[in-house]
Amino acid sequence: MRKFKVYATALFIGAFATANAQLIDEKDVTITMDLQPVLQLEMTTPNQLEFVFDEINEYYSGITQYGATILKVSSTVSWDLYAVGRSTGTNGPTFWDQQIDYGNNNPNAIANLPLSLVELRQNQVNNGAGAALGAFADYSAQFSPATTPSGQNSLYVNAGTNTPPTTNDKYIGGHAGTSGVAGQDFLPGGSYLTQTGTTSDYYYSIDYRILPSLPAIFPMAFDATGLVPQDLVTVNGAGAYAEPGVYTMYVQYILLEDQ
Amino acid sequence: MFLRKIYIILFTGILLLVKPSFGQLHCGTVDIVPNTTVNELLTFDSFSQYQGGIIINSVARIRVRVTDQAVPDPLCSWHLYMIVDNNPGAGTPVNEWEELTQYGNGLNINPPINSLEIRVRNGCQTSPIDGVFQTFTNHGDIIDIIAQMILITPAGSCAPNVNGPGDYLTNYNEYNFDIDIRVKPSFQFNPGIYQLNVKFHLEENP
Repeated sequence: MRKFKVYATALFIGAFATANAQLIDEKDVTITMDLQPVLQLEMTTPNQLEFVFDEINEYYSGITQYGATILKVSSTVSWDLYAVGRSTGTNGPTFWDQQIDYGNNNPNAIANLPLSLVELRQNQVNNGAGAALGAFADYSAQFSPATTPSGQNSLYVNAGTNTPPTTNDKYIGGHAGTSGVAGQDFLPGGSYLTQTGTTSDYYYSIDYRILPSLPAIFPMAFDATGLVPQDLVTVNGAGAYAEPGVYTMYVQYILLEDQ
Repeated sequence: MFLRKIYIILFTGILLLVKPSFGQLHCGTVDIVPNTTVNELLTFDSFSQYQGGIIINSVARIRVRVTDQAVPDPLCSWHLYMIVDNNPGAGTPVNEWEELTQYGNGLNINPPINSLEIRVRNGCQTSPIDGVFQTFTNHGDIIDIIAQMILITPAGSCAPNVNGPGDYLTNYNEYNFDIDIRVKPSFQFNPGIYQLNVKFHLEENP
């Protein structure tokens, strides 16, 4: 009986000891954030850029159209920007489309003009190409003199597709690779809207040049790496020249998340 | 002997049944009204939203009601704080939002907890942090709205740290707290859906 009393007393003490807890109430606020990726490439450019070669000096020195395209980037993710030369494939996926030809179809008159004969120059160096391995990481070099052929500005072409350039090829901003280190192979998210100063990684002015030379062999045409010439003589043999006519192609600018 | 054991078991059972699940020290009741969960979705789908951020004023209102016991105890007072929870049980790093899903390649960082800013305000500015956006850093971080204090500031004084018995019906500017949130995501965050929970905890002072 004594044990019973002790046990009961202990239980009473234990029971009332719980009365020391404080009154509490709680309320939850749950916040869900949906971060949707936004990549905006704002482009100001004429619908059609025309290069009409009807003077000898234009063949020799080429025609340059300065600031013909303005590219403005706004991106919430790390990004790459590149240009790729394309056509509808009338003459083949890597050649200009010949709309009409002039003259008498001389066997040395070549209708297959490489897309890479177009040269680009961007006003701002690519600050996201630290990991580039090729000879030319971007199009920021000055156009080379007519007498010194170079592939430093020749347009990137990849068999008529819009496949991104490799580490050996040219980008306008960012580059191939996924190092995760800003400046190595991508440019970080941001916008031209918030930039100050005279240059910006989010704003590019693009110049175009086509230099046929005489005879018209387009000595500035090079492959994607900028190292292998694609001028008409190298590809077709001595005596080759561009068949007079009207040709068309297009340059595609692609902004994509770093990859 | 067997009968005694039966008595003991029954007695213990009765004691456990009547054992109060909520005790009292000095106050009669302590309530947030209402105490239902608030869910808020912030959708960032334009550059201006990323750039300017999204702010939601009064995403919740914490309305406090604290009453005296039948025989009022002069020591009845309360404190209120908020605590952040990112569901670490799901593997969430201690300083990041919980990732529910991800868009893209995920090469960047997930948003850190401190990208959420939270502001408390009421008419009498009773909280010391009134009107100033605050941030948490890690899961479990606590920010006091009305800190646990020995000094009791009675209702109706419209002074800092009002913590005596009272309610939002009679002293709205002291016992109602508007909660504002602001998120200004960086351009370095991985796109995706993320979640955080902020718990508001009201408790009587010991």
